[in-house]
Amino acid sequence: MKSLGISDFSEQEVEKIDETIGIYKSSKLLGTGSIAGNVLKYIGVCNEDTVPGSSFNTIVSELINKLAQKGIFHVFVFTKRKYEKSFQYIGFNELAYSKKGAILESGAANIETYLSHVPRVTNQVHKTVAAIVMNANPFTKGHRYLVERAARENDLVYVFVVNNDVSLFSTSERFKLVTRGVADLKNVIVVDGGSYMVSYLTFPSYFLPDKEDKIKYQTTIDARIFRNKIASELNIKKRYIGTEPFSKTTGIYNKVLKDELPPRVTVVEAARQKDDTGSVITATKVRKMIAANNVKAICNFVPQTTYKFIEDNFAELHARIERGININGN
Amino acid sequence: MEIKRTAIAGTLESSDIQIMLSKGTEGIQVTLKSDVEKQFGDQIRKVITSVLKSFNIENAKVTAVDKGALDCVIKARTITASQRALEIADSPEWEVL
Repeated sequence: MKSLGISDFSEQEVEKIDETIGIYKSSKLLGTGSIAGNVLKYIGVCNEDTVPGSSFNTIVSELINKLAQKGIFHVFVFTKRKYEKSFQYIGFNELAYSKKGAILESGAANIETYLSHVPRVTNQVHKTVAAIVMNANPFTKGHRYLVERAARENDLVYVFVVNNDVSLFSTSERFKLVTRGVADLKNVIVVDGGSYMVSYLTFPSYFLPDKEDKIKYQTTIDARIFRNKIASELNIKKRYIGTEPFSKTTGIYNKVLKDELPPRVTVVEAARQKDDTGSVITATKVRKMIAANNVKAICNFVPQTTYKFIEDNFAELHARIERGININGN
Repeated sequence: MEIKRTAIAGTLESSDIQIMLSKGTEGIQVTLKSDVEKQFGDQIRKVITSVLKSFNIENAKVTAVDKGALDCVIKARTITASQRALEIADSPEWEVL
């Protein structure tokens, strides 16, 4: 590797790798590739003395088979656009690209499968359909207001709940809280955001702080997947977002959404809701109140359904905080 | 027979084919990627489908990435993928082979 001038892997890049493989001819390295979770990484081959592409295909096959042994059949890769073709030849499909790179996926459970499981209503192509993507960690009155408003202004609203288990409330808990919190709104469908909306895969800096240009790249990819694959398929014409006064990442994300989604999808930005005393409602504050044992104050911020859940599970939530789960993120 | 889990067989190397089998609900659906799809696409699908039928698999999603495999290779890879997907790799049904 060093003879080819490839030596600048940072600690952050290397620590997430689960496995690395290499092809050798006597002691010379001809090709290598790695896996981290369900993502193929750092694939490099030397085409000297071989049929172009053959080492590449060998490496990728081996990585896919290694993942299959672990029960992972849905594989992603991020790559520069000039290498995209090589992956497309072996069955990968592009999800989105930006100037910096593209994301492709391969396997049985692809985005078409995901979308085919999203519930539809009759005559959806003639309805006005809106979408909201939320982490709802936990579901607050602010979220409720946003959904209510979208439900009033549209025939159908999809609420996509971010799928990740790296924060205080688990995916299934957050999903349950959103479903209960909007149960009375008949034109709202709550859907699991899967791997495609603000996921740990496409948008890791939502969960881990990162540099601005990285956030821009990731949010652009996220916005384009939403625009090109999801909104078009479900006839979504509007996306509702809340203004972001605090988080830098969400602030950039909102700006990128406004740049990328129109004209196909209109972005509707609603002002943040305040509680009776005039302080802005955020889920971050709610998590901090839980940490500070301030249960009473929470009821100003969250609907009854969420409040009841927090009350019932207070000990467990507190135990998670004590085990050191991050409550400061998004 | 019902597919129990997603399974894969084969590689992406020249003259081979990679077959991925997963649960389906609407019959046998084959998604094929091949440079010779125009010339041999129908034949490749036919081989895959007939192997699945011999295992009595009625519903399955098949993702096949072909790199110029001959029929015998397609058959062999599909058999392996089926046995893995049906979790009978330890006790293969010799009569269907």
